[in-house]
Parts: sequence; structure tokens; C-alpha cells
Amino acid sequence: MGLCPVYDDLDLTAEPDGVKYAYPPVQMGSIFDDGTAMTIHTDMKKTHASMSRFSVKDADTFQRLYKEVKGFQDLMISTLMYAPPIDVNDITRALSTWKVEEKTEFFRAKLRGMSINDFLNKHFENEKVKAMLAFHAAVCGYYTDVVGLAISFPFMLGKIDNWRLCIGGSHRLAHTLWRQMRRHNVTLRMASPVEEILLENGRAMGVRTFDNEKFFADKLVASSLDLDQTFNKMLPPDVLPADIRKDVDDYAYQDASLFSVHMAMNSIPTYKAAAFDPDINQAWVLNIGYNRLEDFNQDWSDIRKGKVPENPKLNVAVNSLFDPTDAPEGKAVGVIRVPAPFGVDGKGPGIWQSNFKKAYANRCVRKMEQYCDNFTAKDIIQAKPYTPLDISEKLINMKNGDWMVGRISEDNLMGNRPSPRMSQYRTPVSGLYLCGSTTHPHGFITFGPAYNALQVIADDYNIDKWWVEI
Amino acid sequence: MRIKKEYDAVIIGGGHMGLTLGAYLQRAGLKTAIFERRHEEGSAIFSNECTAPGFIHNLHAQYMEFLEWMPIWYDFDLPRFGARTVYPHAQSGLPFSDGRPPLVIYSVEKEENFDKTYKSVAQFSKHDADTLNDLLRKIQMIKPVFAQGLYNPPPVPTPENPEPDNEAVVMILQGLGYPTRISKMTYRDTIDYLFESDEMRCMFYRLGVEWGIGLDIDGTGGGFITTLCWYFNWRLMVGGTHTLAHAMEMAAVREGMEFFESSEVVKVLLEGKKAVGVQLKDGTKVSAKIVASNADIKGLMLRMVGEENLSDLWVKRVKDFEIGPSCVLGSTAMALHEAPDFKSARWNPDINKCFYTIVGYDSAAEMYAYCHDAHSGYLPKTYGEGIWVNSLWDPTYAPPGKHSLTGWIFLPKASKLTRGEWEEVRATWNDNFLLNFERFAPNMTRANVIDDFFYTPQDQEDEMRLMEGDFCNGSAKLSQMGHNRPFPEAAQYRTEIENLYLCGPFCHPGGGASSACGYNCFKIISQDLGLDKFWEKLDRGY
Repeated sequence: MGLCPVYDDLDLTAEPDGVKYAYPPVQMGSIFDDGTAMTIHTDMKKTHASMSRFSVKDADTFQRLYKEVKGFQDLMISTLMYAPPIDVNDITRALSTWKVEEKTEFFRAKLRGMSINDFLNKHFENEKVKAMLAFHAAVCGYYTDVVGLAISFPFMLGKIDNWRLCIGGSHRLAHTLWRQMRRHNVTLRMASPVEEILLENGRAMGVRTFDNEKFFADKLVASSLDLDQTFNKMLPPDVLPADIRKDVDDYAYQDASLFSVHMAMNSIPTYKAAAFDPDINQAWVLNIGYNRLEDFNQDWSDIRKGKVPENPKLNVAVNSLFDPTDAPEGKAVGVIRVPAPFGVDGKGPGIWQSNFKKAYANRCVRKMEQYCDNFTAKDIIQAKPYTPLDISEKLINMKNGDWMVGRISEDNLMGNRPSPRMSQYRTPVSGLYLCGSTTHPHGFITFGPAYNALQVIADDYNIDKWWVEI
Repeated sequence: MRIKKEYDAVIIGGGHMGLTLGAYLQRAGLKTAIFERRHEEGSAIFSNECTAPGFIHNLHAQYMEFLEWMPIWYDFDLPRFGARTVYPHAQSGLPFSDGRPPLVIYSVEKEENFDKTYKSVAQFSKHDADTLNDLLRKIQMIKPVFAQGLYNPPPVPTPENPEPDNEAVVMILQGLGYPTRISKMTYRDTIDYLFESDEMRCMFYRLGVEWGIGLDIDGTGGGFITTLCWYFNWRLMVGGTHTLAHAMEMAAVREGMEFFESSEVVKVLLEGKKAVGVQLKDGTKVSAKIVASNADIKGLMLRMVGEENLSDLWVKRVKDFEIGPSCVLGSTAMALHEAPDFKSARWNPDINKCFYTIVGYDSAAEMYAYCHDAHSGYLPKTYGEGIWVNSLWDPTYAPPGKHSLTGWIFLPKASKLTRGEWEEVRATWNDNFLLNFERFAPNMTRANVIDDFFYTPQDQEDEMRLMEGDFCNGSAKLSQMGHNRPFPEAAQYRTEIENLYLCGPFCHPGGGASSACGYNCFKIISQDLGLDKFWEKLDRGY
């Protein structure tokens, strides 16, 4: 929001029936084991005050960083996210030519060799401040210990106060997109899984759906699906050159998926830590239990070994605080999320279909209870676990439960996503384009992959660019 | 302010009846908006993945019996908006736990199916096979008459003809060559009169409950003929029933109608005795020349309009309007490894691929007891259901190789049990059903179930405002049907509040995915506003 041109181009938030977003004044918060709490506000002064209770130095550092990033980040993020990716080395050279480093305290080309942990340790002293900021990265799908991700981190922090909630549920955004398409005569064929991309003389010329109906396209076919489905399922095996075949087969996914407990509740939970910082009761996205960077490292390490975190640390959000339409009068809806591996203990994802999911959900709820002053399992009307396996079963694009649809690491971002040979949204099959989250920038509600693919398609087909170009 | 403050017409509730009315009004040139409390359109025309991801279950509307007549389907070309159907060959089946041959009734679509149905029924009684085929053949020819009954406002009684509905039934019976006294019989007596075999009686008792007809009520015999008209003509929406709602909304939005989800109407704004708009829960006021509602009638009249704004007669009428015990539904949903494999399949494998299969009853007596319990406020003693395994017909209903089962059971109305008791039903029903199911299909054990869910009447009231869990939002008893639905003064879709209209299933012809209440309400509004009566130029008779 605020960066992505698609909202305005497609009138997604326009009157009369566009999407409406809530902008929670207390955006994020952390509840620590010692009963203290930290809050991130849309009002930077309040954020500064909250952080200062832990470290005045860190609060000042954060404020400087935030202001510095705000100065150039919107321009940089827009340029980087909403255009087909350019070579990272070119970006580095350009930054050096423009002497960017002389003008910034935090942004350095060498961040490309650092992890988010390194960045936090270099600039901040207080473990809880670090944990709060690392939590924000984790929510964005960026692991704190992966070398190279520090380069994105300052930009990310500049958006720590830019979280919005879709009133009526996220699905409302999809509804609005549908309606706008209808208004512009786009045909939407529901319940029509594509089985095959049709080729003629090696060129994509349509699709065949599960019920053997064929739909022909004069100009092009674009796939927002993952590589496996697009290339392995829908095209004959011999159309891909060996090197691209290898790109498809080697495409890497995130180590961690998410385990969630969706809860219908009798009331909105409040927290013991409100005695320390009353604003915590109004915070939207809550870290419960990550006290230090080591807590994150432990989770990542466990998950890479296929272990479910023994002592889950929670990401809790109660949307009913900001959206009264999401629950009956006086009741509330909330979700607990924890990072979790897709396959567990070397036995694959099958465990998520066993009683283990309920047991683990109970463990998460018990953890939450410890930090609340008015909430126990008894306040839950119904709880529904949603496992890493469920994610990939429901949204088959999200292989291995990977909601970013591909690893977030330097070798799979920008011009490396999904591979250098396909980073420009074109594929070896002429007339076939990629426009999904396997392409730059990545998953999340960015619209970026589709918007960027559009630029390439417009160039290739000489289409008038009526939209706002970044 | 995002929502415009003025519309020509505002519709309360985005159920399929509201969507239908909205599409027609917008096309007729009225700037129309629908305000829906939920985050989705279509109300009970919905599908969800309530068991496991990838398994689609239609917890409400399942079989589409009206599509070939439904005006909106053709007038707005819903297939153009992606609505597609499958027309299953074997329509209705009754397997038995002792493995005797199943009763299978095939679709009336093809001539050769009549022979198949005949053979299946004749295993139990040649007389019944003759009767059924005779009735089914004759009834195909008079279906247009029934369609005209559905898609027109009910006849207005006159002093000379105070019961026009009954007169129509008598005429139809005469036309069919069946005794007119059937119109005075009970539903059960009619079935017993027409069919001698226990198996046929067992199936047809059950089908009566589906339509909300109490088996022992005098004068429902004509209802059997009416319902038979829509049997064995059932289609399945590809991708889930909800695709029908999507297509309707797309068609309406394409006309220029606006749809606001998560926008609950709490009040009908009045000037004197005239509706002038609505107020939303967030305080937004929207003015409109016309307000129509498919939200439940009691909530609409007693709360949104307010008792104080109604005459004593209307307050009494609305309060007296009975909701349930008929058409009160609970639904089982199961994600399965394998589709059920019935013992009776060794005689006729089609029983394993029937669209609608009635599981759990071996005799008409058992079925009668179940129907009696369901309408009398008791939980049925037999754990039986009418099931659909839609993935047999449409692979988008389940992940590859797996199956999605949904079943219907008719239950006491929501208020007969406490919420705690309903939770107990939810926790135990499916296990008990499986114990019975396994007697009929040995592979239907717990091990075959990936995940399951039970949807209670209370859930339906909470989720859809289908009060009491009654999918017609008003009992389908005779005194509340036809020109008496919801009550005589409101039967023409108008209310005593000027410019406030009714378009929900509490109007004629009632519940089900017919869209007729919305279409008929549109006709009345057209008449009141002097809009073009385009349908009068069509030869379909509605």
C-alpha cells in the first residue's frame, strides 16, 4: 500500500465498492518473558518512547534509520519492486557512482554479505529491540540468519508502520479484483484447472482445462503458477532446454512454513504486559515470546532439521480489534502463527494429518494463555489448526507450504528469481510468460510479479501502456 | 464516504434471490446496490472447504433442479460468466444393508433412462415400475405449467375462487389422469396409494422431507405431484454450488449493479409509512426510491423497520409466521480416501455412482420414523442421510484420487436444542452415522475419512441468518404456501410500508435454488413503477 501502482491503476480502493483498509495505530508489539512490552506505532514519537524504555540509544538509532530510509526508500523500493529486475551488480555500481554511501549511515553495499542478525548486532545494543525488529523481518518471510538479506532490511524497517488490514477479510481484495475485471470484460472461468498449455510450432497458443475444453489465445499465455506446475505438469517434457529444465528442478523453497491456529473467541484477549505498556492491548501483530535474536536462530535451526519448535513463540493477531465485521457482535477472531517445517522428523508432512496438529495447537494456545490476563482455552468457541501441509493442499502453488513461493535468499531474488534465464518473465516457450510469485519480487500481496510481467508483455506486443509506469 | 448516498433501489441481503432481483432491476435502468452482511455473496448458494483443503462441500444447496427453467440463467447468460453444470446419469439411489439389489432412478433426460429406471423399480414391483414411468413421462410434458407456477407471483384469491392454488392442483391431477382426491390426501397416503413396494415408499418418503412436506398432513398429496416434477432432473454446479452465486454476481455487476459485502443493514429508513433508504451498521445512510429485502422477514419487519412502524395486524402476522420445523437441515461433510462401495453394487454398480444416495434405511417404516422425528422436534434415532459424492462427477471437488462427500439430514429446529446440545450433536453425529454407513458400504470406516465436519441448524442461523436452520426461512406448511406465503397480505411481495418489497424464500414459491422469489418480486416492482414488462413478450409464460 502506498507504493504499489496497481491499487490506483485498477481503482481497487476507489468508490463506491473498492477495498477498505484499517490502519491500526499500534501496528506491532512484542511481549517479553519478563512482563515488559514494546510497541510500534504509526506515530513515530510513540514508537521512540516505547523503545526508549529499553534503550534510549537504540530508540535514537531506529529513529535515524527510519528517517533516513524514508528519504529514499519509496523511490528505491518502487524502482526495484515494480520493474523487471536489474542486475544486482549494476545496482551496486550505480549506488557507488551516485556516492549513496556518503549520504547514508545505514545503507552499504557490503550488506550483501551480511545477515539481518549482523545488521542488528552492528547497529543496536538491546536484545529486545533487536528481537522486535527481527520479528518484523520474520513476519515478512525474511530469515534473520541468512547471509545477504541485510541489504533489504533497512527498506523493510521503513515499512514497519505500513501494515493494513483488509476490512471484511483479505478475500475482499480478490472480490474487488474480480469485479474490476468483470467491468472491463475479462472473462473469468471459475473451477477450471488448466491441464495443458497448448503449443503450435513450439509457441504457446492456448490452454486445455481439466474437462477437455480448449481455450485459444491469439497472442500469449501467462502463468501465475509455480514452475513445477507450469513446466512439468502442463508442457510436454521435451520442450525445455536442459539448462532451463535444471532451473525448474532445482528451484528452492523456504525452509519454514507456518502453523496457524485460527480462533473464534468470546472476547478480545488482553495481556499481563499491559501493566507495563497499556498500548500492547491495541497492537495488531504481536510477537509473544521472542526475547532475543538467539530465539529466532534456534527456531530456524530446529526447522531446518525438520523439528517443530519445542517452545513455540507466537505471532498473534486479533483482527476484530479493527474490523467489527469479522465476528458476531461482542465476539472476536484471532490467529496464532508459528514458523514450522513442512516435513517433520524426516517423516514428511504426514504428521500434520495426525492428532499431532491438535496437540501442537493446544501447545500454542497454552503458550498464549501464559501472557494473557483474561484469556484461556475456555474463551475459545472454536479453534481450527491450519498446518503447513494444509497450505500446500489448499494453494498448490505454495509447494512445501511455502507462502513466499520460493526461497528468500540472494541467489533467488531480483535477477536470480526464479533463475537468471527466466528472470525477465519470458520463458523458453515463445508466447508463454511467468507472472506469479516465483518471479521477482516474490510472494506477499505485492502485485509485483504480475505488474512486471505486464511491462515485458507490453514491450513484446507493443501494447499501449495506459497504466502508471514506475 | 465510499458508498454513494443515493440509489434507485437498495436490496438488503446478497442471497441468490437478492442477486436475481438486483440484476433485473439494474438492467431495467434502476441504479441498484446490494448490501450484504457476510463477506460473500450468495448466502446459502455456497461451498467451502470445511473438512480439509481441496475438498469442496456444498453444505446447503446441492442439486440444481430448476436451472433449465430459471429465467436469470438464460436472460443473463450465466454460462458466459462461468456457470457450468454436470447432469448425472444415475440420479437417486437407495442401497440396502443386507446387500439386496439397490433401487436406482435415472435422469429423465434420455429416453433410454426410462427403461433403466423401469428395470430397477420392477425388481421390487412391476406395478410400481409402470406407475413411476407413467407419472414421470406425463409430468415431463406438463413441466412448463409448473415452471409458470414458480416464476410468476402467486394467483390472487377472489371471492369466487378463494383457493386458487388448490384449483390448479386439481386441474393438473385431472390432466394427468389421476384421481383428484389425491389433492386431499396426505403425502404418505399418496405415496402408499401410488406405490406398493416398501423400497419405493422408503425413497419417496425421504424425498418429501427434502421439500419440507410433513408426511401426515392432509392436503399435501398434490405436493407429491409437484415435487415429482422436479425430481430426477438434478444437476451439479461444476466447482461447487458457489460458482452459481459468483456467476449471478458477475452478471449483475456487469450490468452496473453495485455489491457491498461486509455491509450489514440495521435499519430501514422511513418517512412516515414510506421506505426511503437503509442505514448500515457503521452508521452510513443510503437513500433509495425502493428497498427490497431477502433478509429474514422477522428481522426485517420487527427490527429493521420496527414494530412501532407497523400496524397491529402486520406485527401479528410477522410474529405468527412459522419458521421450521420443516426444511431444517444438518450437513455432514467428509473428506474421503475412497468413494463409498455399497454391498448392493454387486447387483447394479450404478449405486456406487448415483448423484444422490439415501444411506441408512432398510425399510419404509424406518424412514417414516425418521421423517416423523425430524418434524416433531426429536433427533432422529436412525443415523441416515442423503449423500452426494460430487467428486465422482467433477474432479475439482477433491484432490486427485480423493473424494468429497456431503450429506443432508433433517433435524429439529435450532431452538429445540441448546447450543451445548448442538455441539454434542456435532461431536457425535458423524461417528454414529459412520457406524450405520459401514453396514451398507463396508469401506466407510473411520480409516477412510481424512477429515470431517458437521454443520448444525444453529450454524445455519448464525452464519446465514437462515433462522432455526430452516433453508426456506419459513415453514413450507400448506397454510404458508402459495397465495398465503408468507401471509395473505404480503403474498404479492409488497409490504404495508410503501416502497418496501420482499424477495426472500419466505415468499412464494419458497426456498431452494430457484431464484424465483427475486424474479417474481422484480415483476411486481416493474408493475408498480411502470417498467417494461419484457417477459410478456416471451413465449415461456413467465
